[in-house]
Amino acid sequence: MKDLAQLALDTAVARGAAFADVRFLESEREDLQVKDGQVGGVDRSETRGIGVRVLVRGAWGYAGTDVLTREGAEACAASAVALARASATVRREPVVLAPEPPRRVTWSSSCAVDPFTVPLERKLDLLFRVDQALRDVKGVSITEGFLTFIRRRQLFLSSEGAEIDQTVTRSGGGYSATAVSDHEVQRRSFPQSDGHHQCLGYEFIESVPWVENAARVGEEAVALLKADPCPAGEFDIILEGSQLALQIHESVGHPSELDRVLGMEANYAGTSFLTLDRLGTLQFGSPLVNLVADATLPHGLSTFGFDDEGVEAQRWHIVKDGVFSGYLTSRELAHRVGDGRSRGCVRSDGWHHIPMIRMVNLSLMPGKGSLEDLLGDTDRGIYMETNRSWSIDQLRYNFQFKTEIAWEIAKGRRVRMLRNPTYQGITTRFWNSCDFICGPEAWAPWGVTNCGKGQPGQVADMTHGAAPARFRGVRVGVGYDD
Amino acid sequence: MTRDEARAVLERALRAVKEGEGEAVIGGGRSHLTRFANNEVTQNVSERRYVLSVRVVLGKRTGRASGNDLSQSGAERLAEAATTAARLQPEIPDLLPLPGPQTYRTVDADDAATARLGPEERAREVARAVERCMKAGVTAAGIYETGRGTIGEYGELGTLAIANTRGLFAYHLGTGAAFRISALDGAASGWAATESYKASDIDGDALAARAVDKALRSRDPVAWEPGPYTVILEPAAVADLLTDTSWLSFGALPVQEGRSFLSGKIGQRVVGENITIRDDPYHPLHQGCPFDGEGIPTQPTTIIERGVAKSPVYDRQTAAKEGRESTGHGLSVPNTIGPLAQHLVLDGGSGPAEKLLEGIDRGLWVTRVWYTNVVDPKTATLTGMTRDGLFAIEKGKITRAARNFRFNQSVVQMLQEVEGMSAPQLVGGVVCPGLRVRGFHMSSVTEF
Repeated sequence: MKDLAQLALDTAVARGAAFADVRFLESEREDLQVKDGQVGGVDRSETRGIGVRVLVRGAWGYAGTDVLTREGAEACAASAVALARASATVRREPVVLAPEPPRRVTWSSSCAVDPFTVPLERKLDLLFRVDQALRDVKGVSITEGFLTFIRRRQLFLSSEGAEIDQTVTRSGGGYSATAVSDHEVQRRSFPQSDGHHQCLGYEFIESVPWVENAARVGEEAVALLKADPCPAGEFDIILEGSQLALQIHESVGHPSELDRVLGMEANYAGTSFLTLDRLGTLQFGSPLVNLVADATLPHGLSTFGFDDEGVEAQRWHIVKDGVFSGYLTSRELAHRVGDGRSRGCVRSDGWHHIPMIRMVNLSLMPGKGSLEDLLGDTDRGIYMETNRSWSIDQLRYNFQFKTEIAWEIAKGRRVRMLRNPTYQGITTRFWNSCDFICGPEAWAPWGVTNCGKGQPGQVADMTHGAAPARFRGVRVGVGYDD
Repeated sequence: MTRDEARAVLERALRAVKEGEGEAVIGGGRSHLTRFANNEVTQNVSERRYVLSVRVVLGKRTGRASGNDLSQSGAERLAEAATTAARLQPEIPDLLPLPGPQTYRTVDADDAATARLGPEERAREVARAVERCMKAGVTAAGIYETGRGTIGEYGELGTLAIANTRGLFAYHLGTGAAFRISALDGAASGWAATESYKASDIDGDALAARAVDKALRSRDPVAWEPGPYTVILEPAAVADLLTDTSWLSFGALPVQEGRSFLSGKIGQRVVGENITIRDDPYHPLHQGCPFDGEGIPTQPTTIIERGVAKSPVYDRQTAAKEGRESTGHGLSVPNTIGPLAQHLVLDGGSGPAEKLLEGIDRGLWVTRVWYTNVVDPKTATLTGMTRDGLFAIEKGKITRAARNFRFNQSVVQMLQEVEGMSAPQLVGGVVCPGLRVRGFHMSSVTEF
């Protein structure tokens, strides 16, 4: 492993790279699915390869290969250098990297029970028990459940002398029940719509009450078919933690990516309203709102020792006491906001893709009180739970979300279930309307595993911690009000 | 990877299957992408990647293992893992036996010049586009991508070749090229794109000219009120809406499960009489793969004909439930998604979209849409944003830029309100025309 990586690195430098780094990755994955009482898939996969990133005359080149021979490694490095030379012909400002001390270190996420050694029968038994409990509910039309396990080992070498060996193990799963009528398709998921994932071993799966929640999930899916439609108009809304996690992801995380802000994603994902002049000045949210980026969060999906540029994991505020306070940065772009060091946000989804700025774990800091305290404090409002769909404009102003279920709140109590709840807003107005965030006892980390960005497209995962929170005067019922 | 090389890899994998029956699939190839922003190249990448997937069938049990070690030992490891997975799981009552040999149509979509295109040529094309933008005082961002094989937009791998122990063998090699450019003037922007299997169809300068024109016309947008508008949707916008609708509604599984607007409606009028939607990988603009994830030949399938629901697309499993033949739209087996229509064709009219302007008293011109997502699956109601060129139409003419809107729109309803169509083109993987649509629901305005 190291010999080929070193050969690729040496070849890149010998061919003229002023800077080079090489990642040798090997990963394994297991995906298990059960649908409607039958196995929907039992897939094992593995991949190994090398990615070489170089700077030549201040321009980037990147090549990846799975030809893991001396010739393959040399050809990959040569290709990266050729790509960089071509890039340099259409380059105006040379790339300059923020300094970072080269580390020689080994790092692993925690994993008490290796999920790849847990017998398949045991995992499938869990899925089938959940599936049976869902199908026992009269009126449930479709049942689906899954478990996913990933282990990724990466050796990072750089021409500056870094040698970082990291291993991450991720475990997760989820399930849903769908009920169908002539006019409605209603779904409930547990514990959220994208499943529940953490960087832990099989002990994480065993810590989640999967089966215990199945009957409730099925019953709610069926009940939604006959629930009253969510009313349209302006309401105070309370968002449950996993829905708030996606709200954080879309309206805080992506707009604070510095490459977006500087126009580097303009053709695809878009740019950002968080322009450089707004750093330290924009009242992003109410003074209650504190949003913290944290690559050291225990068991987070983007928790690591070092990012894919060899920068050590860090924790800092994106929004502090409501004021926009920080960006997600890289070694290439840190100087554009006056930082002498990258925040360490660069990751890739495999050896075949170039590392780029990706969200690290980003969480809303807890306030005070329980969910019941919050509901009790609400005279008239709508409590929404579990994401069903999401959309936001390319500058990250105008968003719209739909959740699976909602309840009308009147005089501090849940009075009726509501189907098809949607809400829409403008990012800063929304966060400035936040007037209650529940406390640590209601705070939980929620994983996102399907974050798309870049060309070629890459998929990243990260965690957003949140406790339920209230937002005043939000437009509700969009999409069903015409 | 040539046909013979692919066959050799697959046969080696099938020989490694020691118990039951086997299926082997290989996908991958080479992909190259030059990315630019702020009038310079910011990223230039190339990958070579193949993945071998082995599925073992033991009666009514099946397991799959995939990896990128194509050697003998790699194939043996996959076969063993797939066998173990199959052996340890309960039976799948609906699992079908492997299909036997099939006959395929030939699709010529492999362009040697595109496969040979190097980073210097891509850089030259990008430089022409950047120069055009700089002369106009706007900023260029985009990509020039070429490749050969089945590496998808998000790194997902399609099927290059498939074989099984019953003698089935299918192989399809194609090239691809795409150039997409945004021209930016602050928050004002324009966009243009071309995709083809031949890089010779790419003209970066011409695309830049179109994007620049739109960016300059997008300055100082007027904020119109949300509400229903007559719109002209350029083909890129139509393609995005149809792709989401296909996922939701055009496969036999959502139809059988009651989740599609076609459920219970086959043979009935569901949209306007001027709407005919097909899936056809052999369309001259598609030149797609002639077989599906099970190795079944893909049949051109009419989904909606003159407004009447005709048929969803089928894989073997959904077809067996109705006692009919697969249309060859299956994914790899088993899966929980069902068949997909991935080569959509919406029949259109003739001429450019501009000819649709006449008679619109007050409307909107939509260049493309962005971040679409499902609001209501049963009515195929989608939300999303307009992007990169939204213009006011007044008294039959484009008069000025408009601030971008969020829409909430049922595609079914939209296809009942189509008043005119331009000539079809390939964009976003769909062959479709621009559409003039009455009563398109713009529900909120954004800040730019």
